[in-house]
Amino acid sequence: MTTNERLRDTGLSRRELLQLGAGGLGLGLLGGVGPVPPVLAQASRAVAANPTGKILVVFEWFGGNDGLNTVVPYGDANYYRHRPTIGIKEADVIKIDAQFGWHKSMEGMKHLFDDGKVAIVHGVGYDQPSFSHFTSMSFWHTAAPNSGNEYGWVGRTAAALDSSGTRQNLIVNISDSQTLAVKAAKHVPLVFIDPTKFQRGLFAQERAVVDTLAAQTTPVGDVHRYVLEVTRSAAQASEVVRAAWDRYAATANADLRLLDLNKVVALIEADFPTQLYYVPLRGSLFDTHVNQAAPHDRQLQYCADAIEGFFRELRRIGRADDVVLYVHSEFGRRVPENTSLGTDHGTAQVNFVIGNAIKGGQYGKPPSLSDLVLGDNLESTTDFRRVYATLIEDWLGVDSKKVLGRPFESLGFVKA
Amino acid sequence: MAARSQWTPGPHAWHDDLAPLSAADWNYDRAAHLLAHAGFGGTPEEIQALADLGVDAAVERLVHYEGQPNPKLQPFVESGLWDSSLAEFPDSRPEATDRAEEHGASMGIAIKPAGNRALQPVSDRFFYWLRATMLETRRLGYWWANRMLATTHPLEEKMALLWHGHFATHENKVRDYRKMHQQIELFERYATGNLRDLTIEVARNPAMLYFLDAQFNVKGAPNENFAREVMELFTMGVGNYTETDVRECARAFTGWYFDDLEFKVDADKHDAAPKTFLGRSGDFDGVDVLEIIFEQPVTAEFLAGKIYRFLVRDELSPALRAKLGKVLRDADFEVKPLLTAIFRSKDFYGPASYGGHIKSPVEHLVAMMKHLGADSIPGVPDFNQSTIAMGQHLLNPPSVAGWAGDRAWITPNLLIARGNVARDVLIPDMTGFRDWNFSAGTDDVLGQRLRDGYDIGAATAVSDPASMSTFDRVALERDEKFNTRISGYIGWEQAARKLIPTPRDAARFDLSVMVAAGGATSAAEAVDYLLWRLLRVPAAGATRDALVKFLTNELGTDSLERAKSYMEDALRMTAHLVMSTPEYQLV
Repeated sequence: MTTNERLRDTGLSRRELLQLGAGGLGLGLLGGVGPVPPVLAQASRAVAANPTGKILVVFEWFGGNDGLNTVVPYGDANYYRHRPTIGIKEADVIKIDAQFGWHKSMEGMKHLFDDGKVAIVHGVGYDQPSFSHFTSMSFWHTAAPNSGNEYGWVGRTAAALDSSGTRQNLIVNISDSQTLAVKAAKHVPLVFIDPTKFQRGLFAQERAVVDTLAAQTTPVGDVHRYVLEVTRSAAQASEVVRAAWDRYAATANADLRLLDLNKVVALIEADFPTQLYYVPLRGSLFDTHVNQAAPHDRQLQYCADAIEGFFRELRRIGRADDVVLYVHSEFGRRVPENTSLGTDHGTAQVNFVIGNAIKGGQYGKPPSLSDLVLGDNLESTTDFRRVYATLIEDWLGVDSKKVLGRPFESLGFVKA
Repeated sequence: MAARSQWTPGPHAWHDDLAPLSAADWNYDRAAHLLAHAGFGGTPEEIQALADLGVDAAVERLVHYEGQPNPKLQPFVESGLWDSSLAEFPDSRPEATDRAEEHGASMGIAIKPAGNRALQPVSDRFFYWLRATMLETRRLGYWWANRMLATTHPLEEKMALLWHGHFATHENKVRDYRKMHQQIELFERYATGNLRDLTIEVARNPAMLYFLDAQFNVKGAPNENFAREVMELFTMGVGNYTETDVRECARAFTGWYFDDLEFKVDADKHDAAPKTFLGRSGDFDGVDVLEIIFEQPVTAEFLAGKIYRFLVRDELSPALRAKLGKVLRDADFEVKPLLTAIFRSKDFYGPASYGGHIKSPVEHLVAMMKHLGADSIPGVPDFNQSTIAMGQHLLNPPSVAGWAGDRAWITPNLLIARGNVARDVLIPDMTGFRDWNFSAGTDDVLGQRLRDGYDIGAATAVSDPASMSTFDRVALERDEKFNTRISGYIGWEQAARKLIPTPRDAARFDLSVMVAAGGATSAAEAVDYLLWRLLRVPAAGATRDALVKFLTNELGTDSLERAKSYMEDALRMTAHLVMSTPEYQLV
């Protein structure tokens, strides 16, 4: 019997369990059906640990997505003047209004948009933009453009949500290596990419030793201390992730291609206490310098299908109201096409915020396509930290000044 | 048992001190530290040989390796997957089929004059090469890892590994194992040579030229991809040049391209007009621009810092970085004097350098084989799958920035993977192992369906069309002339038929003999021997005690003499647990 089934057996809804609170409750309920396996006991504590149920998933599109060929300004003749060859023809766009239309590969996003669940934010960027993938993304990760911060904006949001730093697995990062955005002062982000390999392979008799692996209390230095901490955190997390994944794999719609968002669904379904998920897209497939049409079409299709499928799965497990998904890249691309039928690194980009809690529509002022700046680039109209502030304050309900250092005006895309 | 060397980090006063270590401060433990950082670790015999040389001669042997025989190195044997019709390989499947429609053939394959799916053989050919170069690159990874293990010049391979991650290209985009092979040989040739020369060679290297779009960088239409990365990632770091410098730099490299495996310059496409770059003006070409970059003081510091952090420790003070940069600059970018200075310095043997480096997954696996005394990389587990699971795919770094390294190597998931790889090496799953080179993954089902008599449309349909992704639906509606999904399967089949199989043998070593030769007679002594031999950073007392208890239980006795006929697997489990400690991840 799964944890959810056990919880259902109690006749209490998940919401009621949340209202009852107290980790001890879960243990008591489960205690009635025999000894509680440690994994399930942890999961039941997890139910009590997420007090609002509100979840933010950041889906990062690394490589520099070409926003102009994603939400296409087909109504502006300047667009076709700058992009005579790779511009998306009016006949190929899925029209939103007289000015903009979705790239045809974004059919999945169109469905969500038509349901009123997608905020399109135009012209997102920052002053004095960097054209380096890595530098610009580090600005986005730290929310500190042309500056820096030791911790990421998601890591700092965790601190705002839980100043004591005691909530386990508040941040999950589906990635090979830890993303700078999730680096936190007190919270240890749970970083993994392949749940099936996230389990220590042990012969039965080795189990007696494994608890002593991280026994060292006097590390030889900071690096040693770090590896000891990760060893302890891995031991706690791997079993619960694995259990959640196995359960999800049994019920998942195998025909949906969710990219790495499937792991997020699995953990949400298992009532993980996580409020902050960070999912960077693997590879830098949006870096379309050359012959961009076919790879960009395909990449948008994969991503839009994954997002639509993600919300379909959330509806199936009854959690769609609890989740907002946010999509950004590190920059947009140069407005004029280059001579390689591609586009070079640019500035302002289009962002998406998606969820039942979102007031669908278009936000931010679309940048001008006639008054270009910084060598044929878009002038950003919306500081990306306004998007962050709206998510932190209006969705997660904590003071965004604590995270961003100063106030930023809300864009108002979250329903009251 | 004989007394063993102790963990002996130098005093705090040695921190950041580049003054040479005195002969009196040299010992076995410091020789072990040197070999772990300048190479991939070694057996006690190899470490003792370095210890016996004294610090100066030991460093000399590692750095000036050219004259030393290297009898075990093997040339790469190609499977014969490539032929000249693949020289102008299309960038995408649409380009492959468009070319065929335009010219009647593509990649040496003609369109069928009649019948259904007239372009299917062309599409199959495209996927054939994608699969072929991917599979051969896996063999190339094996070849290189075996060189790292077998070489008598460990620093040469260690530095080649550094340059592979520094001047990073990946086969996923390059799509030609031959160019990757050529590049690895370049990195070996210049491993400890002159860095300016190496950078110029990299700029002329076909894998790099393709990877950063040189063929699109032409007069009148410069492509900035290489120009930006050469300054940001390869030489100076961000903040030391302007956007104008990037554009001018790109102009200097216009006309540089390659023909198969050869560097070429197309004078007609080179922009010979004057440029202003980093404050200098002239009719610069790519070499001129690189020479100007190497005149910038920051370049020496940037590169010296990169070398130091790769070999020694991630923590590096600005003051030490400046000192290291000066050594490199004074030597006109010859790397050997810098390496010598680092490895002889008190700082290198100081407390921050002891246990301050997290082994990369490739280092980790090669070192594991060194520690166990095995003389080749095993076929089971698969080298590539093992290192990918630990976060490093050799010949496929994640981006032009290479691997993040250091702490990025350790996440909960990756840490657990390290222990699991150790188990797979020590106690390989010989009966459960499946060779991934001979599986098309999720496309295996297509092969089965075709053999069961399905036609191509039915074989490639998913079971429930209502739940197909929009991409699949579009693909089916659009493509009548060929079926790309079947091509993915057929391409793999065709490549696998020609591929030289990787031998799937287990690693060969004998821990029973090893601990006996080390003088151990009891379970406790066996544990102590393994801890000493495998670890640089000492394990906790509680870990050691738990291991002794574990091994005693497994053997049913404390006496190795009594247990010697059956103790191998218990010793291997003990070694697995040792390799799963946090301490084993560090040197």
